[in-house]
Amino acid sequence: MCSIAATRIQRELKDIKSECSGQNIKIELHNDQFDLLKGEIVGPPGTPYQGGIFKLSIKIPETYPFNPPKVSFDTKIWHPNISSVTGAICLDILKDQWAAALTLRTVLLSLQALLSAAEPDDPQDAVVARQYKENRSAFIKTAKFWAQIYANAPGQRDGDCVEKLKKVTEMGFYRDISLQALSSNSWSLADALDNIG
Amino acid sequence: MDSDDDYFEAEDESSLVEDEGRVSDDEGFLGDTMIVPDDPLGSGSKEEDVYPFVCLSAEQIVELMLEILNEVNDIVNIPHTTLRILLAHFNWDKELLLEKYYEYDGNPEQIFKDAHVISPFKLKSTCKTKGQSSRTDAECEICCSSYSRSFMTGLNCGHIFCKGCWSQYLRTKIMDEGMSQTIPCPAYKCEIIVDDEIVMCLISEKKVRMKYQHLMSNSFVECNSLLKWCPAPDCHHVIKVEYRDRQPVKCQCGRVFCFECSESWHDPVLCLHLKKWLKKCDDDSETSNWISANTKECPKCQVTIEKDGGCNHVICRSQTCKHEFCWVCLGPWDPHGASWYNCNRYNADDAKKARDVQQRSREMLQRYLFYCNRYMNHLQSLKFESKLYALVKRKMEEMQQLNMSWIEVQFLKKAVDVLCECRQTLMYTYVFAFFLNRNNQLLIFEDNQADMEKATETLSEYLERDITTASIREIKQKVQDKYRYCDSRRNVLLNHVHEGYDKDWWDYLDL
Repeated sequence: MCSIAATRIQRELKDIKSECSGQNIKIELHNDQFDLLKGEIVGPPGTPYQGGIFKLSIKIPETYPFNPPKVSFDTKIWHPNISSVTGAICLDILKDQWAAALTLRTVLLSLQALLSAAEPDDPQDAVVARQYKENRSAFIKTAKFWAQIYANAPGQRDGDCVEKLKKVTEMGFYRDISLQALSSNSWSLADALDNIG
Repeated sequence: MDSDDDYFEAEDESSLVEDEGRVSDDEGFLGDTMIVPDDPLGSGSKEEDVYPFVCLSAEQIVELMLEILNEVNDIVNIPHTTLRILLAHFNWDKELLLEKYYEYDGNPEQIFKDAHVISPFKLKSTCKTKGQSSRTDAECEICCSSYSRSFMTGLNCGHIFCKGCWSQYLRTKIMDEGMSQTIPCPAYKCEIIVDDEIVMCLISEKKVRMKYQHLMSNSFVECNSLLKWCPAPDCHHVIKVEYRDRQPVKCQCGRVFCFECSESWHDPVLCLHLKKWLKKCDDDSETSNWISANTKECPKCQVTIEKDGGCNHVICRSQTCKHEFCWVCLGPWDPHGASWYNCNRYNADDAKKARDVQQRSREMLQRYLFYCNRYMNHLQSLKFESKLYALVKRKMEEMQQLNMSWIEVQFLKKAVDVLCECRQTLMYTYVFAFFLNRNNQLLIFEDNQADMEKATETLSEYLERDITTASIREIKQKVQDKYRYCDSRRNVLLNHVHEGYDKDWWDYLDL
């Protein structure tokens, strides 16, 4: 690994510890080579993700910081710009808008901002984006339920969701698959069962 | 056949008459105005206007760039580095640059903004304040280390980084991303473009510098519509023309190519059609065409089945499928019972439609294969002609031993030249015809093509035949007659096609 990348990462980690205690973000090393890190962001208040803890994988390329880090969600999340299946993220600063002067801290803060303000016209997950645009209440309900199930977000779980999920899993489908099917079909039990798998 | 020959004879004469007419016109023109045309190809190319072009080396390209820079600089007086970025922004169109520059009436700030450079007029004031600001160390935002101010540098936008990070950054952009004229400042959301001077200052590695310079000339050539790289591998020459056209140009390395599309010279086909044709030949769309023309899918497991005879009661061989169906209607076999010939579904609409589609795709395939075979044949022969050159060289030496002078045997080389030209033209005539609907003009074209092909094959045969002392004079006469005939037929064919382009005779198929 090139020395600039390693020194930069070390320096960044130090800065994050001192500066970001109040900002609900966290980054730590995953191995000794400084090329794989784990991050955490807390769902911002006023969003369906409020209070959830979302874990991220951060891969540092050898040419960092001249090329952007590769970031994806480990925690499953229902968001138009994040794949509900793979956790891949669509964010300009992780692609062509990356600049060497940006840091992991700015990336995580931008991701937090992305959770507050989705961009459904530039979607990563077309199903989620369509729901976001056409059926906002179903989107909010789903995103909140996902945050509660996968990211430990606080609050009373939606009774309708819990019940339908239970029905589908009792038929013998895995929880993740059942939830994906119900969510993609805006919680219509019949449609979900038609398209499951 | 006789009548055909007569017809050709007649056409030949008429075209000859036309040529003479043109020549005498030219003479009259010359006599009146005393302009001597610069005609390097001699009188041989009297029929076409000479297409002017020059071949430039990599160094000459750099000179040309400098020449343009100096020329514009004489007018606007902006630093070279800024001007280079401006020119690149306007695709090296100096007229456009000057027009825009003066459009803003002495206030060209907008231009600088659009081209992502800091205006050199604003610069003087801001720069000084920056320089004086502090003498202490500063932190590089990229590597997060502190350095003395002298080790920090930056563009006129004011963002500064350490020299180590700068050179790494530029290296990545140049080597990995192939950027040259559009590398931005590394600061976030700063679009100011890095100029060539700072790159040359910060990059010491020879490989990177070379690549940068190459990328610079490349982008200069690419965005200049009057310049074209020679497409030959490892040839770094550029052809410069005076106006853009579909014309053959010859590089110093010997490659002759079409200036418009950079493919080998492909008269009479249009660039557009050649491109379509090459794509068709390259990708395996024809394989899939063959499959759709000759096979059907098992209606149950979708495996592709080719029927090689036998009855229409088909049992899928796939181990897991074993589906039994009727080849004709693709329905399950059971209702057919033992009497397939009463297959009641045979006339069902969709079965008929499927058959029609298959029929059409079969015809298309046949048609393509027809043209492709002939194209490939000539291409193949053309490749063999390099062998022929060697053979002919040997023959020429033999003949010189047989009491003929060097000049007397040159006709053989000329004959092979003509042969190659004819083969190349013939090859492309099949591409040309592939894209055309039948009409009367196409019939004439095909007659021309047939005659030229026949003559070319005869010439080819003559050249491969043994040459003996006894027959030598006779053979020379025959070969000379034949290649002159071939050459004239080739011109007739090409002129006919060109005339068709002018007069809109050709009716293109939608392929």
